[in-house]
Amino acid sequence: MSTLVLLFNLSLRNILRYRRRNFFLFAAIAVAVGGTTLSNSLIRGWQVSMLETAVSGLTGHIKLQAPGFADDPSLQRAFSSDTQISLSQQIPVAGVTQRINLPAVISSERETRGVALVGVVPTQEDISLYRDLEIEGEGLTGANDGRLLIGKALAQTLQTRVGRRVVIIVQGADGKSRERGYRVAGVFDAPMRWPEKVLVFTGLDALQGTLAGDGLRDPITEISVVLSNEGDRAAAAAELAAAHPSLVVQDWRQMQPQIAEIVDMVEGVMVIWFFLIMSGLTFGLVNTLIASVMQRTQELGMLRALGMNKRLLLVQVVLECVGIMIVGVVAGLALGIVMVLALGDGIDLSAFSESVEAIGISTLLRPVLTVEDLLLFGGLSVLVGFFASYFPARRALKISPLMAMNR
Amino acid sequence: MTHSVPNAGPVSSGQESSVQESLQKDSLVKTPVVVCRGVKRIYQQDSVPVHALRGVDLEIQEGEFVSLAGPSGSGKSTLLNSIGGLDGFDAGTVTVGGTDLGALNSAELAELRLHKIGFVFQAYNLIPVLSAQENVEFILQLQGVPSQQRRERATEALASLGLGDLAHRRPGELSGGQQQRVAIARAIVTKPVLLLADEPTANLDSKTTSELLEVLQQLNQQQGMTIVTATHDPIVMGFTSRQVAMLDGEIHQDTGSTG
Repeated sequence: MSTLVLLFNLSLRNILRYRRRNFFLFAAIAVAVGGTTLSNSLIRGWQVSMLETAVSGLTGHIKLQAPGFADDPSLQRAFSSDTQISLSQQIPVAGVTQRINLPAVISSERETRGVALVGVVPTQEDISLYRDLEIEGEGLTGANDGRLLIGKALAQTLQTRVGRRVVIIVQGADGKSRERGYRVAGVFDAPMRWPEKVLVFTGLDALQGTLAGDGLRDPITEISVVLSNEGDRAAAAAELAAAHPSLVVQDWRQMQPQIAEIVDMVEGVMVIWFFLIMSGLTFGLVNTLIASVMQRTQELGMLRALGMNKRLLLVQVVLECVGIMIVGVVAGLALGIVMVLALGDGIDLSAFSESVEAIGISTLLRPVLTVEDLLLFGGLSVLVGFFASYFPARRALKISPLMAMNR
Repeated sequence: MTHSVPNAGPVSSGQESSVQESLQKDSLVKTPVVVCRGVKRIYQQDSVPVHALRGVDLEIQEGEFVSLAGPSGSGKSTLLNSIGGLDGFDAGTVTVGGTDLGALNSAELAELRLHKIGFVFQAYNLIPVLSAQENVEFILQLQGVPSQQRRERATEALASLGLGDLAHRRPGELSGGQQQRVAIARAIVTKPVLLLADEPTANLDSKTTSELLEVLQQLNQQQGMTIVTATHDPIVMGFTSRQVAMLDGEIHQDTGSTG
C-alpha cells in the first residue's frame, strides 16, 4: 500500500512536471471526450426521438386490432368499444385510447386525396401526436364533434381552409361506401410532415354514427396503449394478448420493424463512433506517452538500477498514463455536459424536414444525456487509457538498469 | 556470515571458551564482499566481438576503498556494472556478499541491488520531482521501511552529509556537489554491504571533488563501508586505499591484491 502511494505520488508529480506537454494532451483528450459526449447525446436524442415518434404516431407502445385488420383495414374488422384494458399494477400505464382508423378519400372542390380518417376521443389523445398539434381555427370539442381537423399540408393540397367544407368517402360496416360532407374545424401543424399530409381527425362518436350499419354497435378498429416505461412493453403485450385472445396484440417494434432496427442499431453506432474517435486519440496518446518514456530513459534506468522491480515500474508508467487519461476524461465529460446544456433547446432541423422524416425523427433534435452513457463512455475512456499505457509501459520495461550509467 | 567448526561434536565447558575465542578471532579476519573469478564480457559491436573483460579475477574485502582505474575502454565500468548486477557477464562468477550473481534472474538482481548495493552515479541521477529528503526516503520506501523510521533514517543520512538544511530542496535547486551528496545519502541510507560509485566526481570542480572524496573516505574509515569506484581521476585514486588499474579488459596492476 505504501509503495502504491509512493508510485501514485511519483506519477502525479511527473504529470505536473511536463505541464505544457500534458496540458495539450489533456486538451486533446478533453475535446475528444467532450465531442464524443455531445455527439453521442445527439445520437441518443435521435434514438429517443425515433422511439417517441414511433410510439406517439398513433401506434402507442402496444396496439390491439381485430385479426386481419392490418392487411385489410375496414370496419368489417372492427371490435366493440366495450373492450376493457387492464394491466397488472407492476406495469404503469400512461394512457389508453380507442379509435377508428380507416382509409378514406377526401375531396375539396379542387383536389382529391387518399387519407387516414381517424375517429378520436380528444381527451384520450394526450398520449399521441394529437397533443402536439398546433391548430389554426378550432380543435375538436369532443368525441361527438362531427367536424374535421386536417393537416396544413393537406389543406394546401386540397386548396381548402378553416370553415370550408370537404367530402369524405369511407367504407361502412356493411361494405358500402359512405359519402358525407364535413366542415373543416381546424388546420393543424404537426412536428412532422407526414401527419399533415395523411391524417384527418374527427370525433369518434360522430364517426361511429356516420358508419353505423346493421353490425356492431359503437365499433372501434384499434386500442392504443402507451406505457409509462418502455421496458414494460413485452410484459404488457403478453398480459394483453392473454386477456384478449380474440384480438391481435402487437407492440410498436412489430408494427414498425425498420424503426426498431434503427433504434437497436443506435447503441452500436454510439460505441463505434466512440471507438473511432478514441482510436484516433489513442494514436496521439500512445505517441506522446512513448516519447515521455524515451525522454526519461536514464531516470527509469536509474529506478531499475536502484532496485525497483519491473512490476513497480510498470505500475508507475500505467499510473501516469491512466492519470493523464482520467483528468482528460473528467474535463471532457464536463465539457460535453456544458455543450449539451448549451444545446438544451435542441437543434432546429426544419430546413431538412423531408430528410429528417425519412429517418424517423422530428424536426427538433434535442440532445439526450444519460448518467448511464456518461459512466459507460467515461469508463471506456479510462480503459482506452489502460490500453494506451501498454505501449509506453512495454517500452519502459525494456529499459536496462545500465541506462542509469549514461553520462 | 556463518562460520563452521570442523568436527566440533559435543562441546564441553572447557572447550566452549576456546571455540568462542576461535570465532572471535575469525570475525577479525576480513571477509570478501566481492569475489570475481574469470569474469569475461564480450560485446558485439557491428558484428565485431569486443572483449570488454578478459577473465578478470578480483577479490574485495570488507571495509576496502577500491578505485578501478584505466583509460576509456579498459573495462573498469563494465566490471563495476557486473559487480553491481546491472549488466551480465559471459563467463566466470561474480559473488557479492556471498550471493552468486550469475544464479539470479532479473527480479532477484533488482532485489539484491535494492538491499545490498548502494549506487552513486556520475550524473547524480536523483529523481527531479522529489525533494532531497524524498529522494533518500524513496529507496527505503521501495524496501518497505515504515514511514516514521524512513523519515528518521533519511534525515539522519542527510544530516551526516551536511545537508540537513537542504532536505526539502529539489535537485534542481541544489549545486552539483550537493546533488552528489544527496545521491550518497540515498546510497548509504539502506546500509548496503557495498557502495559502487561510477565516476562520482567527473562532473564536479576540484574543490567539490575533494570535499566529496573526504565524505566517501569518512564513510569508509568511520563506518567501514566497502566502496568501489570507477575513475580515471588521479585525485580520486589518491583517496582510495587500493588502486586497481585496468587495461584492455584485464587487471594490469593491483596495489593491494589479495586474490
